[in-house]
Amino acid sequence: MEKREKSFIPLGILLIVMPLLCIFVTFFFGRYPLPPADVFQAIGAKFGWCAMPSNETMSVLWNLRFPRAFAGAFVGASLAASGAAFQGVFRNPLVNSGILGVSNGAGFGASLAILLFGISFNTYIFSFILGAVAVILSYFAGRIYKSTPTVTLILGGVVVSSFFASLTSIIKFMADPYTQLPAITFWLMGSLASISYKHFVAIIPMVVGMAIIFMARWKINVLSMGEKEAQTLGVNISLYKIIIIGGATLCTAAAVCISGVIGWVGLVIPHIGRMLVGNDNSRLIPVSMSMGACFVVLIDMLSRNISGSEIPIGILTSLIGTPFFVYLLKKTKGGGW
Amino acid sequence: MSKILEVSSATFAYEEKNIFGDISLQMEQGQVCCLLGPNGCGKTTLLDCVMGINKLRSGNVRVLDKDINDYKRHQLAQRVAYVPQIHNRTFPYTVLQIVMMGRTAYTGFWGEPKHSDEEIARQSLREVGMEKYADTPYTKLSGGEVQLVMLARALGQQTDIIVMDEPTAHLDYRNELIFLETIARLCRNSSVSVLMATHEPAHAFYFESKGLPVKVALMCRGAMVAVGVPGGVLTEENLADVYGVQAKITGFINDNGQEIKDITLLRTLS
Repeated sequence: MEKREKSFIPLGILLIVMPLLCIFVTFFFGRYPLPPADVFQAIGAKFGWCAMPSNETMSVLWNLRFPRAFAGAFVGASLAASGAAFQGVFRNPLVNSGILGVSNGAGFGASLAILLFGISFNTYIFSFILGAVAVILSYFAGRIYKSTPTVTLILGGVVVSSFFASLTSIIKFMADPYTQLPAITFWLMGSLASISYKHFVAIIPMVVGMAIIFMARWKINVLSMGEKEAQTLGVNISLYKIIIIGGATLCTAAAVCISGVIGWVGLVIPHIGRMLVGNDNSRLIPVSMSMGACFVVLIDMLSRNISGSEIPIGILTSLIGTPFFVYLLKKTKGGGW
Repeated sequence: MSKILEVSSATFAYEEKNIFGDISLQMEQGQVCCLLGPNGCGKTTLLDCVMGINKLRSGNVRVLDKDINDYKRHQLAQRVAYVPQIHNRTFPYTVLQIVMMGRTAYTGFWGEPKHSDEEIARQSLREVGMEKYADTPYTKLSGGEVQLVMLARALGQQTDIIVMDEPTAHLDYRNELIFLETIARLCRNSSVSVLMATHEPAHAFYFESKGLPVKVALMCRGAMVAVGVPGGVLTEENLADVYGVQAKITGFINDNGQEIKDITLLRTLS
């Protein structure tokens, strides 16, 4: 805090450079072997600095590895930022980005689209819309006496989440067990495997949502003081709650619709951030974004490399993240909890 | 002296349940107003109305000659600050971060506190004697220390009025006295006015003995029973009527020849 202004710029640069570095690292690993020299040549060729390498090399790097890592970075940043925001607004360290039902709503949307249309672009549209609808339903479910207290809002989120989980189960029950059911199951486990440039449109709501959270980050601190205190500190709580929940929903729904349900990131990455830079959301929010991006990019790289066939990333996030989290917990002694 | 706070025939009800009615109260700059009354008499609700958290059914609250409904939330927070009875700690923010939150009312819609705000926050911490804890997680402090941090946060908010809701209810003797001494010192050295709900009538006598302009407002079952100087309001008759207790107001002369009053509880009245 003392060196707040002095240290913020270098930290800011670091937070942007780290995910870019992680994306760069993923260029070198994959099932199709690309020698480092070819990778550098393909990067140079993209910017017209040197001759084109083979078509396969260009295609693997720029049509597979790059879009996947790039979109994955935004997915990770979105999940972590909205998780941190929800934890602050709800003054509850145990909630994650899916607390208001966005994940289960999106899961139902995707399952429904797979049932109706098979695997198509509709999956993304349905899951985005239903993810947002679930949050709106949670908000109104938790609304009493013309206001939305935090406790009833979380309760609203929990019941709406389980409602959509049940709807998803119905769809699974109805789905064709040989074609649709595996597709639904795979989607629900989360994967970045199918991402290409056409999915980049989802980056727009992710950026907008994250920008909103980023700009409101100080107010998240104040909201975490409790509703009464936040008001006496000068914050219009209903307005900021809608703004922050809206931003978090926008980026999470967009993230989930292209990646499926990737758990763990939205819960634990903010806590790793808390251990490293403290609880002030002014720092925690950007740090969570950066770490979420790095984490998802690197885990996704592992998910396509550690076995012959691809492992859904949703499985690996907690499998690899948990030991890392426990290590940090011991090392930082919890950071003041 | 100008009226810094003016509550006029205020009435409040939740749905059908009346909480208080026809309450009037005025505070002048630099005054300490002790709001007394039994549990459930509407003290906290009245404070909430003064802070604009609850809206009155009828009547009005004016802060610095302006109706509080005409203030935007952040404007009101530049006039009225709040020290809660007990603050629920969730995240281990540092003490300085907590006090910095008192600067929120000055940050603008998207902004966050600036370097100058940090200076003000540190100054507030010095005023309550907590500056050495600036970088300590406030989850590691004792209850008494947290109340001082809450007071520092309210000071940093640079308001005309600080509203306190039984701020010493959870503190031991020493911490209670440290808190009261800090308030007395602040009121003497600045123009801030304090509106404090309390269960301890002796608090009013304490502030009076420190030479501060004290007003006591005694509430009972949603009505204002008496308002005035401590000696006039905190009488044995009033305590019997309002609390149903037989009490003895005692006093002694201290070394400076000043009379110090106290209250001794004798028994409950049926």
